[in-house]
Amino acid sequence: MATEARGLRLGSAVRRGVGRSVLLTLPMVVWALLMFFHPGTATDRQSLIAAGATAAFMVALFFLMMRTGKTYRWRRVFFVALGLLFPVGFIYQVMHLRGTMGIPMEEMIAGRTPFCFMPIPMLILPAAVTRTVVFPGSILGAGGMSGAGIAAMVGMWLALTLVLGRGWCSYACFFGGIEEGMAAAPKKATIRKIDPRWRLMPWAVLLAMVLLSLALFEPAYCEWLCPFKAVSEYLAARNTLGLFQNALFVLLFAGLVVVLPLLTKKRTQCSCFCPFGAFQSIFNKTSVFDVKIDKERCKPCVLCQTACPTMSLSKESIERGETLLSCTKCGACVDACPRGAVNWHVKGTEAAANPERARLLFLYAAWAMAVMFGGSVIAQGIRTILHFVL
Amino acid sequence: MGEALVLGLASGPACIAACGPVLVPSLLTERAGVWAHACYLAAFLGARLLGYLVFAAVAWELGALVSLLRAPRMPLVGAVYVLLAGVLLWYAWAARRRCAGVCAGQALVQIAENKVETKQEDGLGGAAALGLLTGLNLCPPFVAAGIRAAELGSLGAALLFFMAFFVGTSVWFVPFAGLSAVGRNEAVTTVARMAMALIAVWYLGLGIAMLLGRRVYGY
Repeated sequence: MATEARGLRLGSAVRRGVGRSVLLTLPMVVWALLMFFHPGTATDRQSLIAAGATAAFMVALFFLMMRTGKTYRWRRVFFVALGLLFPVGFIYQVMHLRGTMGIPMEEMIAGRTPFCFMPIPMLILPAAVTRTVVFPGSILGAGGMSGAGIAAMVGMWLALTLVLGRGWCSYACFFGGIEEGMAAAPKKATIRKIDPRWRLMPWAVLLAMVLLSLALFEPAYCEWLCPFKAVSEYLAARNTLGLFQNALFVLLFAGLVVVLPLLTKKRTQCSCFCPFGAFQSIFNKTSVFDVKIDKERCKPCVLCQTACPTMSLSKESIERGETLLSCTKCGACVDACPRGAVNWHVKGTEAAANPERARLLFLYAAWAMAVMFGGSVIAQGIRTILHFVL
Repeated sequence: MGEALVLGLASGPACIAACGPVLVPSLLTERAGVWAHACYLAAFLGARLLGYLVFAAVAWELGALVSLLRAPRMPLVGAVYVLLAGVLLWYAWAARRRCAGVCAGQALVQIAENKVETKQEDGLGGAAALGLLTGLNLCPPFVAAGIRAAELGSLGAALLFFMAFFVGTSVWFVPFAGLSAVGRNEAVTTVARMAMALIAVWYLGLGIAMLLGRRVYGY
């Protein structure tokens, strides 16, 4: 109630004054400066401009979240920028280091590729059985990182995942932004009824890929099913099979990341295919943050269900007052509810205790991660563009 | 015999890795409970033993030609993979009928519609078919055993060698009974069926590529 007294409450959103919003944004300003500027290290003009622009962009979005009380709208701007700029920076780096986007199969098996978090769940069983990481392996030399580098990345991913759960998929993943942009493009969905069983498909892909990776001691998902090979690095097609594999990547990208999001207004790759997303969902159980629905306030208009881009709400889950396990904590349902019934929540506290405080706590953690991971990717993309423009 | 047993025990992890894509999803579509899983595993392993013995007889008769040379091995493995894909697809489809009554538990993801109400059946026939085909699957430890069996003096000795090898590898399959502890609901069985279909497509593609004489990495 104290929060409402200091701001104008519209639905679930608390609109704040400029001064208070600036104060709340100050910690993020400090964090962004720490992340993007390193005193004492030499850097070029393009990198400085890119770092400054990215820091300003991320801080401005956080300020707008504080000012308007809306989350999803501003997060989406960041996420789409991340999705679009990731291939720009990545492809340039790969071309610069290797001279081609095509990676030979033996290079992939040897792990001489840039780090990617997507195969993490597929590596656990082969690593447990053989005590070797099948992919990414000893990533050294051409464009890779050391074993210690990988360990640090995996360690950071684990720490953030334990806190934010599947929030990773809305604040850090550099793949989901393209389809989120596609899903936002049409005014209305052409396909409105989607069989709820499709929500189980990511678990099936995860199970199949974990088992096949163990059987082959190879990263089966990266070799056969990753849609994002179409915008990052593809398999060097040296025979018919290689061509077929690349055709699969392109078809999956076109279908799941472009066409279906345009038709359904949903993140179809994330909600109906991505095995990493399914794996992340498990950590929603460990995360201290979730989204709750106040059943007394809720008039089941299902606006939240319609707004959810990952199909993480069903009539049954709304009746239970919670989201499904696959919730990415993007905030679309919270922003969509006209009665303020859908709110952020810290586990262990009462459902309607202080939703705005829960939102702030979540956003500080999630946006700090977004600045650290997504921000560096955005900065790299901007730097690449500047490299060609200036 | 001792050598075969040790070979089986030593290569067990590779065997469970090779059989995992077939065994895990098919077990997850079965009823929960130790007894149901013990029956399934018994049918699977029994048929796998039969597959081993058939291969042992062939390996001995042909002097390990099938196992040693890549050229005749490829179409054989390709044909086994195509058959395996067919059985997996059939099993995934048929598992829908076995779901009724099993799927009434607390749902991981709630699905309200499309409950199929039919009588409960067991999948032992499917387990046996899958066991036989994985028994004929020429995974690396199996080829190693085949080469050794082909060097033995008689068919009986070759069969005994494969039986001991089978016992050694089967020890590693006991942990699969732990899947009986996984609760069953419509979500779990649907995921298992979808995974079976995906794995079937993969085996089908691999099998066709092998029948056409195409090299697939790792094979």
